[in-house]
Amino acid sequence: MDNGMEGMLDTYLFETNSLLDRLDEMLMADEKIGDFSTDDVNEIFRIMHTIKGSSAMMEFSAMAEIAHHIEDMFFYIRDKGIDSLDPQHKKELFNLMFRSEDFLRGQVEKVESGEALDTDIDSFAADINNFLKKISGAAADEPDQAPAQEAAPPASVALEHLPDDKEAVCFLHIFLEEGIGMENLRAYMIVNAVQECGIDLRYYPENMESDSSTSASIIEEGFFMAFTSEDDANKASDVLRTQNYIRSYELAAVPEPEPEPEIPVKEEPAKSAAPAAAPKPVPAPQKPAPAKQASAPPVKQNLISVSLMRLDSLQNIVGEIVITESMVTSAPELNQLSRDAYDNFMKSARQLRKLTDDLQDISMSLRMVPISGVFQKMSRIVRDMKQKLDKDVHLTLIGEDTEIDKTIVDSIQDPIMHMVRNAMDHGIEDDPAERIAAGKSPQGEIILSATHTSSEVVISIADDGQGMDPEKLLAKARDKGILTKPESEYSVKEALGLVMLPGFSTNQEVTEFSGRGVGMDVVKKNVESVGGVVSLTSEYGRGTTFTMKIPLTMAIVDGMKVTVGNSIFTIPIANIRQSLKILPEDVIRDENDNEMLELMDSFYPVVRLHQFFNIDTDVTELSDGIVMWVETSDRSFCLFVDELVGEQQVVVKPFPAFLNYFELKNSGIAGCTILGDGNISIILDIQSLHSAALENV
Amino acid sequence: MSEQLNNQADIQEVPEAETDELSTIDRCLTFESAGLILYISTNNVIEIINNHSITTLPLMPPYIKGIINLRGQILPVMDIQQRMGKGPTEFTGSACIIVLDIDSVSLGIIVDSVRQVMDIDLKDVRPIPLKHQQKLLNGMVTMEDGSVFMSIDCQALAVPQ
Repeated sequence: MDNGMEGMLDTYLFETNSLLDRLDEMLMADEKIGDFSTDDVNEIFRIMHTIKGSSAMMEFSAMAEIAHHIEDMFFYIRDKGIDSLDPQHKKELFNLMFRSEDFLRGQVEKVESGEALDTDIDSFAADINNFLKKISGAAADEPDQAPAQEAAPPASVALEHLPDDKEAVCFLHIFLEEGIGMENLRAYMIVNAVQECGIDLRYYPENMESDSSTSASIIEEGFFMAFTSEDDANKASDVLRTQNYIRSYELAAVPEPEPEPEIPVKEEPAKSAAPAAAPKPVPAPQKPAPAKQASAPPVKQNLISVSLMRLDSLQNIVGEIVITESMVTSAPELNQLSRDAYDNFMKSARQLRKLTDDLQDISMSLRMVPISGVFQKMSRIVRDMKQKLDKDVHLTLIGEDTEIDKTIVDSIQDPIMHMVRNAMDHGIEDDPAERIAAGKSPQGEIILSATHTSSEVVISIADDGQGMDPEKLLAKARDKGILTKPESEYSVKEALGLVMLPGFSTNQEVTEFSGRGVGMDVVKKNVESVGGVVSLTSEYGRGTTFTMKIPLTMAIVDGMKVTVGNSIFTIPIANIRQSLKILPEDVIRDENDNEMLELMDSFYPVVRLHQFFNIDTDVTELSDGIVMWVETSDRSFCLFVDELVGEQQVVVKPFPAFLNYFELKNSGIAGCTILGDGNISIILDIQSLHSAALENV
Repeated sequence: MSEQLNNQADIQEVPEAETDELSTIDRCLTFESAGLILYISTNNVIEIINNHSITTLPLMPPYIKGIINLRGQILPVMDIQQRMGKGPTEFTGSACIIVLDIDSVSLGIIVDSVRQVMDIDLKDVRPIPLKHQQKLLNGMVTMEDGSVFMSIDCQALAVPQ
């Protein structure tokens, strides 16, 4: 019993949280345009209905009650049409909805942490009810939104006989699914949905929205939509495809001479499409509610939640499979096979390789989630701060669908939030006049962007605010006593770097949002914990940009094995441009005897791996070994190695904690891997190898 | 008769139980390196291995010999003779690697040879007089046969120089 409740609670929390996320997303989007779309009104209604139902089931009465009140309110709004609200009411409605969302979220968090729920919800409930009264009072005089129809009076709706409509060119004959209840209202909802798409139509039975007795004939004979052009009818049938509860529909043209049985043009059993857009797995509301399920993207409902631990172990096993596979296919015993048998074996091996590749890709992609969830939260934060700080700021999101590893998402959410808050609080000027004086638009802008490069995710938070004054930073740091050398020796870049030191907060006063002195240093630590770096550029008066570079989880790498002396190194194939044999006369030397090569009309420095790593080898002439032309984001150079061994997929293993002290990551080594024969190969990090070998000389 | 025997046994056990409670006796693995006899608590010792091929890591201090693949785990290996400022351990037949776990940091140390596991009473361990010159050793004890054993400071071992 207990266990059952636990499982149910988990499901409840997951479901409620995703519904609230969806609600948040919609509210943010709608507030941007300052209006609720009809679809969203329906969706909110449905969300509240679901939350009400499941909360009541779990006996969280406070949540159930608030959700119930909101549901009532949206029932009214949906009924009257959102347009019946004036802008002022809409604004209040948005604030009320955000408050409700926060309330529900607060309750869910309490459920999660096992605290008792609020019981004193009367005032909040009263707020909602008052608002409902206010809008219902205001809208009472509004004319009925139902469009008046000026069509000819309906003829008898006989089976196989089209309604008598002289202007109609064609009809859609629609049958609803059996046993859905309230057929007349559902039919009317469908008609409404079609009308919303700007299609002119008449429907029969004409009085179905008000006369429930038409249900029977709709069940028996379906209902009709009449169109004055065939185009409209085709468009309408597109709309119908997105609607639920439709069993089938037919397009029938009006025969010119005299009415005849309709000619079926198209028949589509809607049942096959239904599962894709199936409602969420909750007790389906038996009210005439969900007429426009189509507004929710169908993918959302095909999600399941899996514990990260299981994904991790899957990933590990897949990694081991990949290694074992290459152990098997490179086993020396294979040489004893006959030629034919060997060919056959290799054929199967290639097939296996392809399958393991696919398996690996899928297991990697399982952990990837779009960053949009994090970004969405940021727009909420910006919205709230905008109101509280009274600053006019526009948040631009770029690359929301960039996918990154779930664990990375979790660890960068707080840093991003912190930086966005900083940008709002300190970055953007308090007074729009200041901005205008500086020749900027009075509305501040924060740009949050995420992009992929081949090996890392770059997330940047840029504001066009006042920027940072290096002088002020230095003065502040001097007051705090965190300067480590004379002030005059600090470069601008170093002065900016002071922001990342612990205990540095430039805001004079601690505000609600920032300025507690635990700030950028925590951001830096969080980002570094996932192997990333934070950098910062700022132009005084023009704005500040924070950039986070975070490596993708590259647990498995396609690598090229090379030897230097007795060591085997692995170079990620993504970094390799070309491998070449060169002649002694190709080498160009500068005055310090540094070697360079001319490749494709450009010159590239040569790094001798054996020299850089101090490895004894017999191959010291460039012409005897192999030159690997490698590149990372913007750097390109040549690596001199002894020999190419071959390509292999390898699982990256981090070095043991003991070796972290030696900062291998800064000397061109990314990690190591165990090869099929049990030997260890060192994986090179081309980027840091470049810095270590060529920049810091 | 049997009662008597039991009583005798009881009498004998009592003092042992007492020392156990005080736990001044530690089981230690003794081994040789750099011409010294050293010991380390068996609580820190995982296993003793030999004949592992060590992959050298570039850009490391000489006493870090490299890493080995211990059944899929990567284990760093250190030559404590070099760590103590002497020349590298010569690989003879008896040289081997002791795998240690020091506060969940795994580490292998290369030693000349392993002797045996024995009980050492911590009460007998005295500090080394030349304190400031000692980096790795933190105690010495004289055995019954007059030989002197030195204690390795595990914490110091786990922190690279």
